[in-house]
Amino acid sequence: MSEVQVLKPQKTWSHLAARRRKPSEYEIVSANLHYNDRDPDSPYELSPGMFMNEWYKKHTFGTALKHADWNAFRDPDEVVYRTYNMMQDGQETYVFGLFDQFNQREHDIALDARWAGTLARLYAPARYLFHTVQMASAYVGQVSPASTITNCNYFQMADSLRWVSHTAYRTKELSLAFPDKGFGNDERHYWENDVAWQGFRELMERTLTVWDWGEAIVVLNLVAKPAIEESVLRALGESARHNGDTLLGLLTDAQLIDSARHRRWLAAFVRMASETPGNLELIREWVARWAPLADKAIEAYCGALPDAPDAVNAARQATREFRRSLGI
Amino acid sequence: MAVLNRMDWYDLARSTNWTPTYVTEDELFPPQLSGAFGLPQNAWEKYDEPYKQTYPEYVKVQRDKDAGAYSVKAALERSRIFENADPGWKSVMKAHYGAIARGEYAAASAEARMMRFSKAPGMRNMSTLGCMDEIRHGQMQLYFPHEHVSKDRQMDWAFKAYDTNEWAMIAARHFFDDIMMTRDAISVSIMLTFSFETGFTNMQFLGLAADAAEAGDHTFANLISSIQTDESRHAQIGGPALKILIENGQKAEAQKRVDIAVWGAWKLFSVLTGPIMDYYTPLEHRKQSFKEFMEEWIVAQFERALTDMGLELPWYWDIFLKDIAETHHGMHLGSYYWRPTVWWNPAAGVTPAERDWLEEKYPGWNDTWGQCWDVIIDNVVDGNMALAYPETLPYVCNMCQLPILGTPGKNWNVKDYPLEYKGRLYHFGSEVDRWVFEQEPERYAGHLSIVDRFLAGMIQPMNLEGALAYMNIAPGEMGDDAHNYAWAEVYRALRETRKAG
Repeated sequence: MSEVQVLKPQKTWSHLAARRRKPSEYEIVSANLHYNDRDPDSPYELSPGMFMNEWYKKHTFGTALKHADWNAFRDPDEVVYRTYNMMQDGQETYVFGLFDQFNQREHDIALDARWAGTLARLYAPARYLFHTVQMASAYVGQVSPASTITNCNYFQMADSLRWVSHTAYRTKELSLAFPDKGFGNDERHYWENDVAWQGFRELMERTLTVWDWGEAIVVLNLVAKPAIEESVLRALGESARHNGDTLLGLLTDAQLIDSARHRRWLAAFVRMASETPGNLELIREWVARWAPLADKAIEAYCGALPDAPDAVNAARQATREFRRSLGI
Repeated sequence: MAVLNRMDWYDLARSTNWTPTYVTEDELFPPQLSGAFGLPQNAWEKYDEPYKQTYPEYVKVQRDKDAGAYSVKAALERSRIFENADPGWKSVMKAHYGAIARGEYAAASAEARMMRFSKAPGMRNMSTLGCMDEIRHGQMQLYFPHEHVSKDRQMDWAFKAYDTNEWAMIAARHFFDDIMMTRDAISVSIMLTFSFETGFTNMQFLGLAADAAEAGDHTFANLISSIQTDESRHAQIGGPALKILIENGQKAEAQKRVDIAVWGAWKLFSVLTGPIMDYYTPLEHRKQSFKEFMEEWIVAQFERALTDMGLELPWYWDIFLKDIAETHHGMHLGSYYWRPTVWWNPAAGVTPAERDWLEEKYPGWNDTWGQCWDVIIDNVVDGNMALAYPETLPYVCNMCQLPILGTPGKNWNVKDYPLEYKGRLYHFGSEVDRWVFEQEPERYAGHLSIVDRFLAGMIQPMNLEGALAYMNIAPGEMGDDAHNYAWAEVYRALRETRKAG
């Protein structure tokens, strides 16, 4: 009889043990966590042909955006749950400190009534838009083929709830200072009907119905989100500063810190995707197909911002520069 | 007031439903993913989550919770609790982490399904936090066992278990995939949060935390009670959805989902939690028997949760009440006998003192399960170890994927509940398992149990060795008696005394 080999303990999980490098906490708790890639015929332990199995076979594993090992993806920031909360609790302390301080200084009362009207129309409805980003990130996360990619999208989903929450908070506060501007009541109407928002609403309704994982992660993160961030965070923040609204400028700056983190994982993602021949072209094709809708949204929204004469162009350019920095 | 109260703006943050026009409502919320039960968006806007939390509150509270759990771990890292723990307790940890850690991580995607596809805005925000919670539970329950991975190869299964075809993991995946990974948003809220988390995780986490504290494993006790505080928040996602369904004439559909999920949860607990509580946990550290835990958490508390909601007790409740005193003894006997096929070392838990305890908690134990154990004990005492190990596989149920078993003794009652569906014969371990299959046959019919795979020649060679290779479990990982049969000494001594007498 041959000698039976007895497996010995290793320094880390067997799936990480082959490498020479000591794994970080991030890798120990983030890498290779999905188990739906065991059996290509049946992602889940049920009838191979049942609805959700077919959904994952088609939309996750059947996407044209291929890579031999998506599980090799690493978030450059190595965010794990506990560091996320430390980071964002700190950020929230900062933002709520701003809310507190500016409230004590009676910041809102000092705002121009016309600007308040602009906020009712072009700022408060943004909670709907941010919520669509929350939803779209949740989708991309649940169909991503690697847990390290999933997590980036789930943290982004949580960040979007953060933006929704800031917007809801400020909407309520502004309703107290300007009871006649419709704060807290008219946002849905603006979101559904005002020309300034229709571009973004169309962009996001269509983005939310892209089921193919590859196309969805590209459209959401390389087209829709950059357009939103350059318009509803950066351009709006600039317009605010020109209208004496220091608070909104500081708030959008704080939110852009989240966005900058999202862009770092995206850069790593695009770099990894481009290791497969043909992927870069595919990404460019998707971007080319979707960019006109995003440009239309930027035009409608930024074109309506007061005291921001170059906002449309600047926002459009910024989305291009971001993509160019990733080689797209 | 310089800062608003949370309830001043909470409702605005969950007023996020709009009427889509560039796509249809059904395109935005495909019925198979959203499970709106034919109800339009505005019917779901009445959804009101009982446990309200905002984003800033969440990150603060969770940061503090993590600080607590991780600092206990750090403080006790050099305490050699693991090294000095009773081998039975180590098995508890191994079984728990392997079956639970990555399942919890997967639950993040079930929460994300509710987040993206529920038509109820309040549910979407609560599921955002629920998704984050499940990332936490997955990550913590990987980080904590990782500390022990260099001491014990079986600890590798805290990560590895979900990637294998180990039989208990096939059962665990079949259950979790059924109730949380492959359902629409509303069904997830009913089956995962209301049915499974309200009833069963309470018991796994609070029950085990109590045993862990007794066993001196404060790191583990702290970890899982911290997890339970999250569960008790996001477990409340399903309640308001049930309320809306009942108000809109969908009670029967809601009830059916509860009944399916509760039964599956029960079966999984009968194999994982039952043996842990009644056999692995050292006798002196047992707080309550498994049956007592079940009676407190499931029968008393969950029954009330059901009736408060306006639902009925599942139709099989009398079967269930009978089974909570029986099934897990068979599961334990099976997983002990087939111990090379599990990634932990089962503790037999049948010393005379333990048998007294079992007899007290489960009157009649010695005349039923005890008879089977007598045979195993005799073989061990006689040194007939070959007879104390299995050669083949047990027959398993096509629903719960667990062995089909009955209660031994005079009233030996094992029974197969067969069903022919589209030309294939299925076998079930109970009337309820068969009923679950019949509710949606296409969901289950194409699945092959491990025995089906064996019979189809997918496991080669067709013996235990082939099965072990198929399960990806090798020497160094395979289970054996937790105490290396030291417990048999008592019986050997008893026999000597008897002979001498």
